Amino acid sequence: MIPAQFDYARANTLDEALNLLAQNEDAKILAGGHSLIPAMKLRLTQPPLLVDIGRIKDLSYIREEDGQIRIGAMTTHYQIESSDLLKAICPLLPECASHIGDMQVRNKGTIGGSLAHSDPAADWPAAILALNAELVAVSKNGERTIKADNFFVDLLTTALEPGEILREIRLNKNGTHQAYVKMPHPASGFAVVGVAANLIVNGSNECQSASIGITGVSSKAYRASAVESALNGASLNEGTIQGAAAHATDGEDVNGDLFASADYRRHLAEVFTRRAIQAAAIGAAK
Amino acid sequence: MKIEGIYQIHAPRERVFNAIIDPEVLQRCIPGCESLERTGEDEYAAIMKAGVGPVKGTFKGNVHLREMRPPEHYELSVNGKGGPGFVKGAAIFDLEQVDASTMIKYSGEMQVGGIIAGVGQRMIEAAAKMTAGKFFAGLERELGGWADPQLPISTP
Repeated sequence: MIPAQFDYARANTLDEALNLLAQNEDAKILAGGHSLIPAMKLRLTQPPLLVDIGRIKDLSYIREEDGQIRIGAMTTHYQIESSDLLKAICPLLPECASHIGDMQVRNKGTIGGSLAHSDPAADWPAAILALNAELVAVSKNGERTIKADNFFVDLLTTALEPGEILREIRLNKNGTHQAYVKMPHPASGFAVVGVAANLIVNGSNECQSASIGITGVSSKAYRASAVESALNGASLNEGTIQGAAAHATDGEDVNGDLFASADYRRHLAEVFTRRAIQAAAIGAAK
Repeated sequence: MKIEGIYQIHAPRERVFNAIIDPEVLQRCIPGCESLERTGEDEYAAIMKAGVGPVKGTFKGNVHLREMRPPEHYELSVNGKGGPGFVKGAAIFDLEQVDASTMIKYSGEMQVGGIIAGVGQRMIEAAAKMTAGKFFAGLERELGGWADPQLPISTP
């Protein structure tokens, strides 16, 4: 199918984009388009107006600033995957990016677009949660910063208000005991289960703090706080890791579909959480 | 697919039962329901703008109420068709009074077809739970008057 009829406008600045959005409450931002256009082609979504932000200057960057890592919302998955800076100081980000879609998708898709869309099986949300990132959103009323823990609200629903555009992702530098592991759907490549682990490990192999982000399991990505509590202060060995991973889906409404029943997904979540922690515990940039 | 759960509404059972068979209350509580009109004895025609996030569509359908045993039990069947696909379902509601609250136990079977069932199949269960949650939260706001409606107590 081809999309339903729509208007197209190209914004040269963020202000222009915000004004265009304000004119039409059903307008959608066009970033990389690799979540939006397929949905439009199936007519699952029929925005009357697309506001293309692809030519706005300085929305695509990866830099260290004020002790933080800051990534522009229009940075592509490939740019993150291939960033030498990130491979050195935040390997979770390039590792997560390398699992997204395929090469063509990674060349066009953007981290901001993916996060704003919040597919329940997307890879970025798990990493963003595990890194305790902050998301900067801009609107006609100014800017605000949303913590990752508050950003993913429900199925395909984020904390972004209508008329808000995600501008930047910020995070503090963590260690390098990080990993992202994923069980991809064999056809679509989406995460049946995806787990991002971000650990602070001391010289005696003790876990001082753990952040675990899980995607594909529920209606949105979530922090596996029960796993984190079990790891905090624990000596990292097979027994403690297995014990912690067993809590991967505690308190979560686990999704079931034709490919994986809720029970199977629960089991997969445990297995992949264990693998993510093990990989993160080995640590160091690859 | 099966949807089941229990929801607590902070209102007495008779009030809750009368509310869930009142088309005006239902129209306010069903997410995206634009109109709900009586077309016969225990039959209603509905127009709903349903959707999750950017995925939206207009569905036209009918709702049929059956086996009414006020204030404890009733059943409904629903049939809707729209751009993204069609929905056919039936659900059973049992109401129990516990102190000053009503526990609504619901159990239903739903069939979804069309485009959403094809490409959207992996999200259907989550979307159904979200819609049911919004409906009961809406009902709680109508009746219970509590600022923070409780989330469903259990959904298998």
